[in-house]
Amino acid sequence: MKRLLIANLIAVASLGCFFLYQEYQPALTYAAKGEQYKELMYQCDHAMREHYIAKMALEVEPSEFHIKNLQSSELGLIHCHEYDKIRKTLLAKGLTPSDLQRLGLEALEEKEYELRKFVEIHEFRY
Amino acid sequence: MSFDIKAKYFLLSSVLFLQTILWAADGMDSILRDASIRNGFVAADQINPEVDDSLVQIGKTFFNSKNVSLNGDISCQSCHIDKFGSADGIPNGIGVGGIGEGLERVQKGGAILPRNTLPLWGRGSKNFNVLFWDGKIEKVQEYILSQFGEDFPSMDPIVIAAHLPPVEIREMLVEDKFITNQKQERLTSAESVFQKITSKVIETEPQASKALAAYYSMNVNDLTYLQISEAIAEFIRAKFAVQNTRFHSFVFEDGKLTDGEKKGAMLFYGKGKCSSCHSGPLMSDMNFHAVPFPQLGYGKNGFGIDYGRYNSTHNPNDLYKFRTPPLMDVENTFPYSHSGAVDSLKEAIIYHFDPLRFLKPDEMSALDRHEYFKRLGASSSSMLASANLTDEEVEQVMEFLMTLSFIPADI
Repeated sequence: MKRLLIANLIAVASLGCFFLYQEYQPALTYAAKGEQYKELMYQCDHAMREHYIAKMALEVEPSEFHIKNLQSSELGLIHCHEYDKIRKTLLAKGLTPSDLQRLGLEALEEKEYELRKFVEIHEFRY
Repeated sequence: MSFDIKAKYFLLSSVLFLQTILWAADGMDSILRDASIRNGFVAADQINPEVDDSLVQIGKTFFNSKNVSLNGDISCQSCHIDKFGSADGIPNGIGVGGIGEGLERVQKGGAILPRNTLPLWGRGSKNFNVLFWDGKIEKVQEYILSQFGEDFPSMDPIVIAAHLPPVEIREMLVEDKFITNQKQERLTSAESVFQKITSKVIETEPQASKALAAYYSMNVNDLTYLQISEAIAEFIRAKFAVQNTRFHSFVFEDGKLTDGEKKGAMLFYGKGKCSSCHSGPLMSDMNFHAVPFPQLGYGKNGFGIDYGRYNSTHNPNDLYKFRTPPLMDVENTFPYSHSGAVDSLKEAIIYHFDPLRFLKPDEMSALDRHEYFKRLGASSSSMLASANLTDEEVEQVMEFLMTLSFIPADI
């Protein structure tokens, strides 16, 4: 009888944990993987920009150097594959496209805080 | 030698000495006048266009009205203030949600913009054909390069420029449901936003709208944003017209400068080679150059990066280049550079020839250091036009630059 009670308790607790996990999984994932997502987002953004710049440089000034540069930057686009993977993982774990947009915006504008810090440090006087 | 001869000799020597000093001073004055004119400096009244006073007054209402921002709480005047040299006195502009001026505006929140607000001095003057830091509006012969493509609304660059801030999200526009739906690269979507702004202006500024309609002999309800922008442009032409400075007076009216100011001017046009880029009626060649200024804020390209002119041309040779800023009233247009990262004129001058002096690599992130390395590389072509100046010489150049200050028109 006692064993049955303990087994039931464990089952209820496990079920509770499972539901809690389901409920809070997006928030936990957001906290755990957010920074990695932001970093990979930057890496992919950077790789895409470098690739476009290399393409334009070859167009403006065709040369062996610019061909090699373009080929390297094409390989660099692998970062976007990593970014795509983490994006899909986060969506699968319950984050919404809006959550990802918010993370993306945070990454893009991370240096916003610098303005207020700069003004404080330099003690702007008028 | 008798006393008489001694006295005559002394008198003659004194006269000759005085004459030499006067000749030298006069020689320096004429060299400076020639150099400034050779570098395109002209009298203020030669570049200021004729304006229509009635349109200027209507434009003043719209320039100062927060109703020109569709759903925000900001007017053109919020960021273009006389005491800050017609800019806003803070490093990165603050758009919608911003409160107050200067320091208060930074401390009280609001949407931070990626670049330093540009002063408006001389923006409506003749041949001022390249607008904004990256020249995103440029008049080339009978064509205007802008984000409007072939359907640019006017042949006047300042009129086109007056179209941009009210439809720039964060600057004068809050992104609500309506704006999200219009956020597409289509001219018609921009048109519907302009129509909505115009309707709001007609409703909230009835007197000025009626006067504008009368000016163009139109029905009020037929007004479009084009007429509103033309009125704003006329006000900018009048209010922010460059006035006579002490340097204008020196060059064109035989006015006087102090020795320090003249030495500074000689450095500006001579050894310092500043006039290689800072030439023309407003001390700008209207061309694009890279100067390795630090980057402050998230930048036009995000992540603390601003590619400058490249954003308009997509030509890699234009990476990190910005239009040479005009120097009129430069004393009051602080902070300096495209991201306002330099708060003193002295530092701004030094960054042109000795940028590593202020660099603290240990305090920078790896990305910031990498980006700075690229900016330094991009500026190498401008290195020909730089010379090492002593701190005393920098002070003299500053003294000269102060002679470009003026009292704005009282409109």
